[in-house]
Amino acid sequence: MNYELVCGLETHVELATKTKIFCSCSTEFGGEPNTHCCPICIGLPGTLPKLNKAVVEYAVAAGLVTHCKISPVSKMDRKNYVYPDLPKAYQISQYDMPLCKNGWVELSNGRRIRLNRIHIEEDAGKLVHDRGNTYIDYNRGGVPLIEIVSEPDLRSIDEVQEYVETLQMILRYIGVSDCKMQEGSLRCDVNVSVRPEGQEAFGTRAEIKNMNSFTHMAKAIAYEFDRQTDLLMSGEEVVQETRRYDEGTGCTEGMRDKEDADDYRYFREPDLVTIRVTDEMRESIRAKMPEDPQKRLARFVADYGLPEADARQLIEHRRIADYFEAAAKGTKNSRTAANCILEQMFARFGSEAEKDRFEVAVSPAQLHDLILLLDAGKIRKNLIKSTLEKMLDSGKPASDFLSEKDLAGISAEDLRAVCRKAAEENAAAVADYRAGKKKALGAIVGAVMKATKGRANPQETQKILTELLKG
Amino acid sequence: MEQHGLIQKIGKLLRSGEISCTELTKQYLEAIRRENGRLNAYVKLTPETALQTAAEVDRKLAAKEELPPLAGIPMTLKDNFSTKGIETTCCSKILKGYVPIYDATVWSILKKQGTVLLGKTNMDEFAMGSSCETSCFGGAKNPHNTERVAGGSSGGAAAAVAGNLAVFGLGSDTGGSIRQPASFCGIVGLKPTYGAVSRFGLIAYASSFDQIGPLTQSVEDAALVYDAIAQHDPMDSTSSNRALPAFSSLGKEIRGLKIGIPKEYYDGVREDVKAALFGALKVYESLGAELVEFSMPSVKYSLPAYYILACAEASSNLGRYDGIRYGYRTEHYTDRNDMICKTRSEGFGAEVKRRILLGTYVLSAGYYDAYYKKAQNLRGTVVKAFEDAFAHCDVIAAPTVPTTAFPLNFTAQDAVETYLTDICTVPVNIAGLPGVSIPCGFGSDSMPVGLQLIGARFSEPTLLNAAFQYEQAARDDVFQAVETGVRL
Amino acid sequence: MVSNEDILKIARLAKLSVKPEELDGLTKDMNGIIEFANTINKVSAEDTGFDNINNLSNVFREDTVVPSYDREEILKNAPEEEDGYFLLRRRR
Repeated sequence: MNYELVCGLETHVELATKTKIFCSCSTEFGGEPNTHCCPICIGLPGTLPKLNKAVVEYAVAAGLVTHCKISPVSKMDRKNYVYPDLPKAYQISQYDMPLCKNGWVELSNGRRIRLNRIHIEEDAGKLVHDRGNTYIDYNRGGVPLIEIVSEPDLRSIDEVQEYVETLQMILRYIGVSDCKMQEGSLRCDVNVSVRPEGQEAFGTRAEIKNMNSFTHMAKAIAYEFDRQTDLLMSGEEVVQETRRYDEGTGCTEGMRDKEDADDYRYFREPDLVTIRVTDEMRESIRAKMPEDPQKRLARFVADYGLPEADARQLIEHRRIADYFEAAAKGTKNSRTAANCILEQMFARFGSEAEKDRFEVAVSPAQLHDLILLLDAGKIRKNLIKSTLEKMLDSGKPASDFLSEKDLAGISAEDLRAVCRKAAEENAAAVADYRAGKKKALGAIVGAVMKATKGRANPQETQKILTELLKG
Repeated sequence: MEQHGLIQKIGKLLRSGEISCTELTKQYLEAIRRENGRLNAYVKLTPETALQTAAEVDRKLAAKEELPPLAGIPMTLKDNFSTKGIETTCCSKILKGYVPIYDATVWSILKKQGTVLLGKTNMDEFAMGSSCETSCFGGAKNPHNTERVAGGSSGGAAAAVAGNLAVFGLGSDTGGSIRQPASFCGIVGLKPTYGAVSRFGLIAYASSFDQIGPLTQSVEDAALVYDAIAQHDPMDSTSSNRALPAFSSLGKEIRGLKIGIPKEYYDGVREDVKAALFGALKVYESLGAELVEFSMPSVKYSLPAYYILACAEASSNLGRYDGIRYGYRTEHYTDRNDMICKTRSEGFGAEVKRRILLGTYVLSAGYYDAYYKKAQNLRGTVVKAFEDAFAHCDVIAAPTVPTTAFPLNFTAQDAVETYLTDICTVPVNIAGLPGVSIPCGFGSDSMPVGLQLIGARFSEPTLLNAAFQYEQAARDDVFQAVETGVRL
Repeated sequence: MVSNEDILKIARLAKLSVKPEELDGLTKDMNGIIEFANTINKVSAEDTGFDNINNLSNVFREDTVVPSYDREEILKNAPEEEDGYFLLRRRR
C-alpha cells in the first residue's frame, strides 16, 4: 500500500514595525536583556494595551498579497495559559474573527496552497535555561506577529519548502517582515498526517512545533512520514499530539503530557475595541503596495530573459528589484545588468543587513548608461566588469574611465583597412569561404575582432568582409 | 444657594491665606494618626509626599499663581491605584511590597493639579467584596458606628471621607464598590459612565466594568473631582472623549424632571430603608419633578450575569500574579508549577480564589456557551432595557443597597448571600451607565441610607444636578457629620 | 453539580492548589455559587451580538518609538534576578 504525505503549516512571522504591537517599545533585534521593556509589555498590574496601527496595515498587506479576503469587522481575543515567557498569563491574539481569510499561494508546479487565515497576535519573551534555572528576557515580548495558517494542501517536502520560501519572498518583498528563520522572525509549526493513496479522508495528524530551519523541517517531516506509515502498516493508530523535533537524533518525540494542556478559555479582549477595516482603508493599503511579487518574478523571467533563480534573488528585496528594472529597462543586455548586480554588487556586502540596505555608489541610471554602451557595441563585456568595479569604488560615472579611444569604436575606413589586412593574413580561410564554406568567415571576423581589441562591430565586420570577398 | 462643598470652602481659606496648605495637611495627618487605628481606613500613609506637595502649593499661593480648584486639597487613593514609588497592594498578600514604577493616569492628573495625597485606603482584596473585610489588613469600620462595616470594596475611602480624615477619595466601582460604601457611610459616591475616566493604572478586577470615581461629602465636591478626572486618555483604548463638565450644570431648575422608578428594584428592600427612599422621592416631587413608575424585569438577571462576566475577566486579569516578576513568592517549591500554585494559593484570600475558580469554570471548554456567552447576551438585553427606560425619563431613582451597613464579620456567612446585596448597583455597571449614591436619611438603626440616581451614558451634568438639587433641599435632614477627624 | 474532581481540575487550570482538608468545603461553596450563576439559564436571551460597551472601534497608536524603561526599573520588583534577567530557580 502506498501512502501519501499530507502537510499543513502554521507560520509565525514577526512584523517589521518599529514598535511592539501594544506599546511603544522598540522591536529592534538583540539588545541587552530587558532593555526594550515598559510596564505594558511586562504586564505590570494596571497597564492596558494599545494597538499599533502599522500592525493592522502590515497584516492587511500580507492578506492582500496572498489573495485573502480582508474581514471588515474583526476583534482581539485573550488566549489564557501560564508560561513564564507570557507576562500577563494570556496572549492577546485573534480567535474566531481573524483579520484575513481564505487566501492562497501558488507554487511553481501550478498548485495553489490555500490559506485558511492570517491573524495578528503578540510574541512572548525568551527563556534561557541554565543549570535547571530559568532566565527570562522580555525584549521580544509584545513584538507583533502574524500567524499564517494553511490548509493541509502540501503533498511533499519540496512543496513545503517552496511554500515557505515563497512566503518569505513575498512578505520580504512587500516589506512587512525580513522572514529570517535563523533569527526567529519566521517560525513554522508543521502538521503532518498520512493517508493511503487515493483515500479522500485525512489521517490523524501530529503537530511538530517551532521548526526554524529548512534542513530540520525536511528531516522532521520525513521522519514523521516513516513513523506514521509504520504505525498504520502494523495495524496501529496515529495519536493526535504535539511532538518535538530532536536535532541530535533526527527524530520527533511526543512532548511530555501537559496536564489539561490546551483549554485556552478564549474570550474577547475587553481592553481593546473592534477593528473595522473599511473599503477605503483596505484600498489605500493596496494602493501603497508594490506589484504582486510573484507577477513581477514571472515578468522578469519572460520580459528580461532572466533565469528564474536569478530573478528570485532580485525579487527578494524590492529595492534591488526596482534598481534592476531602472537599470535594465529599454536595454538589450538585461542579463548583463542582472549579473552586474548579483555578482559584482552583492559581492561587496558583508552581511544580510548590508544587502538589505543595498547602498551602492552607482545609481541605476549610471548602470543603465553602461549597459547602453554595450548594446551599442561600443564596449566589450569584460570592459563592463572592470569599469563597473571602478565606478563602485569611486562613485564616478562610466565616462570617467572609458577613454575616447575605448568608446570611439572604429571608423568605417579603418575597419575596411583592418578587414583587408585580416583577409590577406587568413588566405586559407578566405579560400574555404570562397569554396562554399560560409562558416569560414567566422575565423576572419574573429581575426578582425582580435586586431581591433573587440571594438569592431561583428555585424559590420561580417558585412564588409562579405563584400570584400565577393568575387 | 447653600454651599456644602468642602473643596471650594478650603479653596477660599487657602487663597485668602487664612490657613496654609502645610498647616491644613498637618491637621489631617494628625487626625489620621489619632483615628485610623479605630477606623482602619488607611493602609498606608504618605506624609512625606503630602507635605512636599503642600509646601509646593504654599509657594505657588504666595506667588499669587492661579491654581486649579483641587490644588492643595487633602485626598486619598484606594490601594488599587498605581502610585509610582509608593507601595500598592490591592490589600492582598500577593502584592505586599510591590512598588509601581509608573503612575495611574488619574493620579498624574491630580498630581499636576497639586492635590495632597495623604495615603492609600483600605479595600476588599482586589476589589472583590462588599464589606472591605476580605482585605489582608482587616476591614474598615463605619465612622457612624464602628460595630458596622464601612462597606466595600472602597470601604477605606468611604470611612476616610465620612470620618473627616480626607476631603475626597478616589475609589473604583465594578459592581457597586463606590456607591455602596458611600451609602453605608452617609456620603456621596459617584461611578461615572464607563469610559469617562481612564482605567490606565487602575489594577484591574473586571475590565469591562471597572470605573474610577470620587467619594465626597457633597455633590458639589463630586462634580469638581469628576470634572478634573473625566478626560480622554490615549493610554486606555476604552477611554471616551464624550464626558461633559458637570460642575457648571449644578443649580439648574429640575421642575419637570422625569424620574423613573423601576418597580423591581424596590423589591426585597428593608422596610425602614424603603421609608427613607420614599421620603426622598417626596422631596423630589415637592421640587417639581415627575415620578414615573415602570417595570424592568431584566434587573433580576443582572446579578448572576455580572458575576459570570466579572469573574471570567478577573480570572484572566489575575493570572499574572505568579511570583516571577513582582509581588509575593512562596519560600519553598519543588518545580515551577509548584512555585506558581503555592504562591497563588498562599497569596490570594478565599474570596479571590472563589471568584477565580468561578471565572475559570465559566470560560472553560464545554461551559463557555451556557455561561459566558449567555451572560454576554443578557448584558446586551440589560443595556437595551435601560436605553428604553431613558426614552421615558431623565434619571432613574433606586435604592443603593437593600439594607444599611452590615455588622462586622457579616460576609463570613455565605458568599451568595453577600452577592445578592449588590442587586441595585450591579445593573448600572452591566450597562456602563453613571450612577451616584447620595445620603437620603437613616434606617431604624440610625445608620445612613443611600438613594441611587442613575443616568443615561455621559449624562453626568443632568445626573449630578438632580442629586445637587435634592441635597440643597434636604441636606440638614439627611446628612450627619461625624464628630471626629478634621472639622473646618 | 460539580464534584471534588471537577474543582481540582478547574483549580489546576487556574494554577491554584487546594489542600485536601479544604476540598469538601470549597466544592460545597462553589456549587452554591455555580447554582446561583446558573439562574441565567431560566431566561432566554437572543444573541445581541454585544460589542464593547462603548461601541468604539479603530482606536490605534502611531508606530513611533518611545524610549523604553531603564532595566533597573523593570527589574525593581523582581523577587530574584541575575545578569539583567528575571530569574526563576528550579527549586527552593
